[in-house]
Amino acid sequence: MPPLLLEAENLTVTYGSYAALKKVNFSVFEGEIVAIVGPNGAGKTTFLETVAGLLKPKEGSLKFRDRNITKLGPFQRRKMGLMLIPQEGNLFPSMPVKENLQLGAFFQNKRSTEEILNRVYRIFPKLQDRTRQLAGTLSGGEQRMLAIGMGIAANVKALMIDELSLGLAPKVVGSLLSILRDLRDETGITIVLSEQSIKALDIADRVYGLEAGEIRFTERAQQLDRDLIKSLYLGA
Amino acid sequence: MVLQGLITGIIIGGILSLPVMGVALIYGVTGILNYAIATIGTFGAFTTWLLLPYGLWPAILAGLLTSFVIGFGIQQFLLNPLIKKKGNDLTLFFIITFGIATIVAGLTKNFFPRPTISIELPKLGTLFIADVAVDINKVIAIAIAFSILLIMRFLEKTTKTGKSWIATSQNLKMAKLVGINVEFVYSLVSGIGHILGFIGAFFWGVLYNLTVNTGWDLCFLGYIIAIVGGIGNVWGGMISALIMGVVISFAGYWLGGMWQSVALYVILFAILIVAPKGILGSERSV
Repeated sequence: MPPLLLEAENLTVTYGSYAALKKVNFSVFEGEIVAIVGPNGAGKTTFLETVAGLLKPKEGSLKFRDRNITKLGPFQRRKMGLMLIPQEGNLFPSMPVKENLQLGAFFQNKRSTEEILNRVYRIFPKLQDRTRQLAGTLSGGEQRMLAIGMGIAANVKALMIDELSLGLAPKVVGSLLSILRDLRDETGITIVLSEQSIKALDIADRVYGLEAGEIRFTERAQQLDRDLIKSLYLGA
Repeated sequence: MVLQGLITGIIIGGILSLPVMGVALIYGVTGILNYAIATIGTFGAFTTWLLLPYGLWPAILAGLLTSFVIGFGIQQFLLNPLIKKKGNDLTLFFIITFGIATIVAGLTKNFFPRPTISIELPKLGTLFIADVAVDINKVIAIAIAFSILLIMRFLEKTTKTGKSWIATSQNLKMAKLVGINVEFVYSLVSGIGHILGFIGAFFWGVLYNLTVNTGWDLCFLGYIIAIVGGIGNVWGGMISALIMGVVISFAGYWLGGMWQSVALYVILFAILIVAPKGILGSERSV
């Protein structure tokens, strides 16, 4: 068993009197791909934003690489190797593609930034053709590529991606997912995906089911009854 | 006389553009309408004046550092914790910075031996533009105002810090997620904005008289100019400052001093009706 990388214990997050997350327990091992599935409003985004440090939990604790990070700010968590790509607003729209990627690689020095950008361009050749184009003028699919490219450029231990497939054609989703799996196989990066699409289960090792702010189940991906999940959680 | 008025206007506009750029920079990055910039800058300029016997450059450096430290400190220790607790409430922060301006203006009054000062720079000579004589110090003031704009653009393009503040102004959430310490960026930008306020007040003290109330006047004019230029837009602020400087100058010549502010307001209202976001539009979108 690889070591534990990320652990949430009894995580409760509230918006006013409304509890968006209720005593959530969650763990990810190094090198794993974990998918969080659940319907709209289940609390997936709240969970990921709390782990990234954008939201403060009311109760509970977060551990990353054996360190309690509950009180750390987002940039400190990012520095430790944890990064979230949010589902929308994940680009700097008036900056060119290249500067977006450079900001993704914020903690790398100049030399390794160049190397890392070349790696991103190998994965997404389309981005290389558009290094000077403003991010806000890319198409929806290209914008998602750029956002994931920023995540890859970050060169982190754990990459969290909120709703990877939102608004994308199934074919594009399929290719993005296999890119992520290859990335994990090559670099050993840990990936957490939140998804409304059943396709994410293709690459996940383990799946958490989240509904109404509570974890309903956790299961190895191969052992899941997909049709059941689909009808129960994904509203398909 | 038209040329004379134009030159005077450009000089006034150039000096006014400094606090305006400070306002624009701070608002663009932090979303706070800071009303204290010019008042704190005036405090810094008084500091420079007080220390002039110890040499011009050390005195300028001291005024500049004073303004930076106050601007940085207010953001770091008062405004950042408040943003964390209360979120970014435009009116609240406007009132708070107004309060800070009041306190600093009071300090300026009590701390320095004179309420009205004039900063004497060594005379560098006179430049003739057509038939109009212009003091070289005035030309330097304008040159500095323009070069600051260019320096800022250069920093934004080439340094990590500059990119951080642009990124923060474009997408706060993503700036945090890529690893930018946005609170530090806020404080730094606030410090730089206050330096611009200082340079503006300093030149005001060189060319005219600086009083404890100059800070208020500069803030007030600064805001009208910033709104006309498109608040948060540094280029818009610069252009607007030059236009408004010329308006002030000609209103003074043709209509008399009491009509200067009326002319400014008329233009403000007209611009707001024609272009609600100012001549170059507001840059802040988050």
